[in-house]
Amino acid sequence: MEQNNQLLTVSPSPHLHSPVGTASIMGDVLIALTPALIWACYVFGMRALYLTLISVASCVLFELLYEKLLRKPVTVGDLSAAVTGVLIAFNLPVTVPIWLPVAGGFFAIVIAKQLFGGIGKNIVNPALAARVFLFSWPVDMTTFTTPVRDRFHSLFIKQDLDALATATPLSYLKEGKLPSEVQGGYQTIDLFIGNVPGVIGEVSALLLLIGFAYLCVRRVTTWHIPVAYIGTVALLTLVFAKGASVSFMLNELFAGGLFLGALFMANDYATSPVTPNGRVIYGIGCGLITVFLRYFGASAEGVSYAILIMNLLVYYIDRFTKPVRFGGKKHEKQ
Amino acid sequence: MDEYKNTRRSQIRRMPAPERVMIPLSQHIGAPCTPCVAPGDTVTRGQVIGRTEGLGCPVHSSVSGVVREIAERHDARGRAVQTVCIDNDGHNTLCPDLAPYEGLLCEADPDRMIELIREAGIVGMGGAGFPAYAKISSARGKAELLIVNCAECEPFITANHRLLLENPASVINGAKILLKALGVTRGVLAVEDNKLDAANKLEQLLDGDQLLRVRVLKTKYPQGDERQLIYVLTGKQLPVGKLPADAGCVIFNAETCASVYQAFAHGMPVVERTVTVDGDCIANPKNVLVPIGTPIRDLIEFCGGYRAQPKKLLNGGPMMGQALHDPDSPVTKTTSAVLAFSEKFSPAPKEDYRCIRCGKCVQACPMHLMPIYLSQYLRAGNLEACLQYGANSCIECGCCTYICPGRVPIVQHIRVAKGKLREQKMAAEAAARRSEKEGKNGAK
Ligand code: SF4
Ligand code: SF4
Repeated sequence: MEQNNQLLTVSPSPHLHSPVGTASIMGDVLIALTPALIWACYVFGMRALYLTLISVASCVLFELLYEKLLRKPVTVGDLSAAVTGVLIAFNLPVTVPIWLPVAGGFFAIVIAKQLFGGIGKNIVNPALAARVFLFSWPVDMTTFTTPVRDRFHSLFIKQDLDALATATPLSYLKEGKLPSEVQGGYQTIDLFIGNVPGVIGEVSALLLLIGFAYLCVRRVTTWHIPVAYIGTVALLTLVFAKGASVSFMLNELFAGGLFLGALFMANDYATSPVTPNGRVIYGIGCGLITVFLRYFGASAEGVSYAILIMNLLVYYIDRFTKPVRFGGKKHEKQ
Repeated sequence: MDEYKNTRRSQIRRMPAPERVMIPLSQHIGAPCTPCVAPGDTVTRGQVIGRTEGLGCPVHSSVSGVVREIAERHDARGRAVQTVCIDNDGHNTLCPDLAPYEGLLCEADPDRMIELIREAGIVGMGGAGFPAYAKISSARGKAELLIVNCAECEPFITANHRLLLENPASVINGAKILLKALGVTRGVLAVEDNKLDAANKLEQLLDGDQLLRVRVLKTKYPQGDERQLIYVLTGKQLPVGKLPADAGCVIFNAETCASVYQAFAHGMPVVERTVTVDGDCIANPKNVLVPIGTPIRDLIEFCGGYRAQPKKLLNGGPMMGQALHDPDSPVTKTTSAVLAFSEKFSPAPKEDYRCIRCGKCVQACPMHLMPIYLSQYLRAGNLEACLQYGANSCIECGCCTYICPGRVPIVQHIRVAKGKLREQKMAAEAAARRSEKEGKNGAK
């Protein structure tokens, strides 16, 4: 066959590449979040799905618009904006007005992500930044619904009479009461499975865990941050339990946004350390601050602020945990 | 990482010498040879055609015929080097000076052996091309362990694997000759566990030998890197900036050992080598025993030509090999593979790369560096930080770039950083020398 020299590409090694790219990783994250989303539709009604779709659409659109307006390469294909969209929706109560996720998407994508330089360059987790921003509308953000009993009516949950402001299990815990001790209360198993009031994505620790296990199997993420984070919270709430220690601890773990935060927000790539040791330190830090805020803070929840605070320290943790290079320091004397 | 050892069952085929060979006078690390033949001279197979006084060893003709010209040509690494072009007369007349080593190995004088290894033009055939005689002389007295590198960890390449299966005795005997020349009494043949058949063959042949043992290693790129090999075999991490001999080790590639054996048993210098020809564009991938100096174009023709138009042609493995721009560049002593890839297999690098801070590169780096920060600091122009983060320890294995989902050309960034650091250091040294001189002049 004729050999044409002109057509040969000369590029530096390596010449092989792993098939795993940013888009396939983000796709895996979306898959991992799906069980929790399906569950949310089951307990809160189809509105959970609508809100999620609106949130995803607005994140993707804002990213597209921003990049088009500034004539930057379009990156919506990497699916990271879609992941941010799902995570924003997961942090909303199902009763919020439709414009709220849109506002959240704008804040997350334009302010928290793109103004810092886009994917990988943002300092704080965009979805968490959006959540904190949306607390400017505290009433909307803290009106929780009890899980729907009559699932067939759940499509229009906003009109449902059940949709009243409800205290979350976490607020009982703050007062030192176990949710199961309160009238009509929730058992620990309800908390684990997710049969409790809360924001769309946080209620079912079990399904979030299944999603996370999938990510571990696909080697998208490592165990370090979640184990360090949840482990720290478990240890502290066991030692400083308000009441029966083990069940108090378990309730602290499964109530609120700890699992969503630890499994899917704290170990967001861009805003967590790159070294394994750094990830453990970061997870422990998140755990310490979370418990501190839950005990002494103004609100019942502490996960978002804990992660945001640790986000700011990531660069220093990375530098502090720089691995000893092969044949470095301790081997020099041999 | 997929291994792609497609040619593992393909027997080594000897390729007839082409009509013309082009033999570069620099196929090793060190000083290039000066030609000792002139255009029009008749040469024979195995005859010395270039020599050097410095570090380096002679280059021999791989065919018999007439020297047509001596000119500058691109070698497979893209460097312009003096190259001797020889028209093959097809007779394969052997050089009359070639003679096997006479005498008993146990009585051999190490200095003579080293001289013989130099004369045979033996260099590190795994790809480095460091002259074997120089390695032996510098390791003598320091090294206690000979490591024969049969890891062959790069994807696609199976040349050593086939050599170990088809002619294990040559590797073992070559290793024994090296033991004697080095004055070392212990050697291991390090084989990855994807070549258990070869390991078994070696075991059988060694049959409880006191000097040499087979060690089976986990298949894991870059297992064949010197530092990784020493670490898995001895548990020692070679300190930054030290050579294997400092850890009491000396490492030779399997094919280098076989060449040593050829030199002693038959008096044959390095005039041919085994090359794996593979890739999705090659019609009949196989392992070939190729005369040194064969144009890669002819070698590919021997393997049935192209199945599809290649986008990339590689000299060496896909992780560390060089992309060729000229298919007429010749096979040299360090060409372990020729691979032809289509776009599908080896996509062009992305201009628009983005780090997503996944940390996969940090976990993948066998030298325990932080490739992400090396790349970032280089792009920020902070060479000081590159140095601090160990840019100079990078072995350019490519693991970080292979794994990077953001398609950041990390290794290339590190190479640039290393180059700049080298320049900086040289400039600083030059300045120091100047000021020293001025200081002396001032004192007068
Ligand atoms: S090429 Fe990358 S992985 Fe390999 S040693 Fe260098 S920095 Fe580490
Ligand atoms: S592997 Fe690539 S994307 Fe991931 S941290 Fe390293 S450079 Fe960034």
